[in-house]
Amino acid sequence: MTYQWHFQVVWQNLPFLLQGLGMTVAATVLSMLVGLVGGLLIALMRLSAWRGFRMPAIAFTEAFRTTPLLVQIVWVYTVLPLSTGIMLSPFTSGLVALGLNVAAFMSEIYRAGITSVSPFQTQAGLALGMTRWQVLRRVVLPQAVRRVIPPTASMWVGLFKDTSLLAAIGVAEVMYQARVIAAETFRPLEIFTATALIYFLLTYPQSLAVNRLFKRLRVQE
Amino acid sequence: MSDPHLWQFGLILRHLPYLLAGAKMTLAVSAVSILCALAIGVGIALARMSRSRSAEFLAGLFIDVWRSTPTLAQLLWVFYALPILTGVALDPFTAGVITLGCHYGASLAETFRAGILSLPAGQRQAALALGMTRAQALRRIILPQAVVRMLPAVVSMFIVITKESALVSMINLRDLMWHAQSLAGLTMRSTEVLTIAAGLYAVCTYPQALLVNYLHRRLTAHA
Repeated sequence: MTYQWHFQVVWQNLPFLLQGLGMTVAATVLSMLVGLVGGLLIALMRLSAWRGFRMPAIAFTEAFRTTPLLVQIVWVYTVLPLSTGIMLSPFTSGLVALGLNVAAFMSEIYRAGITSVSPFQTQAGLALGMTRWQVLRRVVLPQAVRRVIPPTASMWVGLFKDTSLLAAIGVAEVMYQARVIAAETFRPLEIFTATALIYFLLTYPQSLAVNRLFKRLRVQE
Repeated sequence: MSDPHLWQFGLILRHLPYLLAGAKMTLAVSAVSILCALAIGVGIALARMSRSRSAEFLAGLFIDVWRSTPTLAQLLWVFYALPILTGVALDPFTAGVITLGCHYGASLAETFRAGILSLPAGQRQAALALGMTRAQALRRIILPQAVVRMLPAVVSMFIVITKESALVSMINLRDLMWHAQSLAGLTMRSTEVLTIAAGLYAVCTYPQALLVNYLHRRLTAHA
């Protein structure tokens, strides 16, 4: 059996797919922002000396790391409105779910970055008469940031791909548009191939950039 | 206003066996996918490190393609598009296993390669200088050390596969996520059902997470 490819279908529907792309990028940028800020908060709580901060932070991180992202997205979308009475649009609840998920993973990245700086450096700083805050700002953070940037960048690439899960709650990003078009045109082969290609063309350069970042910022111990 | 009848677990607990049946399917599809991913990962890693240029190129292409597209896009492609090309219809289970196996096989291949390359080149050279063949050096010197180094990362990947297997509910494989969503629809108690489902996923993955922590501690203790 030879299959008759009909790539005109893709060209005709490209505007719809690209419309979805705007949504994909918006979802990635916004939930990354939520994750960057939220993750820092969680990381600081986790590193705090007080159990009252530490325990909730651990519970939060573990809850988001042990359950599937799809479950989290559907959970936020259906459970949050029922239990709080706050109605969220699919896009907003998607942002909340993705943002919290990224926050959980980012908090571990921050924590690893901060704890990877040898404690002797902190002690040396203190011995030189710096205050705790000065040690953090002048000694620990400049080194921690260097170690945090590459994994953060790969988190971003992962997030870019994971926004496709928002299709499950009806956010009109690329994957959702693709499913609608595939169903309407009865051309899943062309549409899904084109969609995968779009994702590849956008993600691959990002992964290459991340690899370069890892090489450039490698820390020699 | 929030629902005053919220968080009534009694009704749902009666349906627990239904959810557990889904959890069984989740474990089955993840286990088979993990085995496939391991086999594919080893194959691709070997091809990537082989002396043949074309094998190396093809393995690199495989890795880049599977790692640079979303799993959901791959799943829908394998389930809806691939059968049109091959003429062979796939059931959701097979489509899920192919997708998860290839996607995470590509990731595992990189983990394996990184583990092997992390050993100093001097070890292999020393083995060859002692008169071992390449295969002997790999089996006796390189692999025993490399396996130890990559074990935590590999088991972490098992956790990711178990979680990501929830995606197969979108091609109607009746796994935990699918059962949870259908039960939520039937009982109109999505709050409780989805929360229990999330808990069951945690139950499936947490022991693996503990294993990772244990391996990490064990293996880095005398490094």
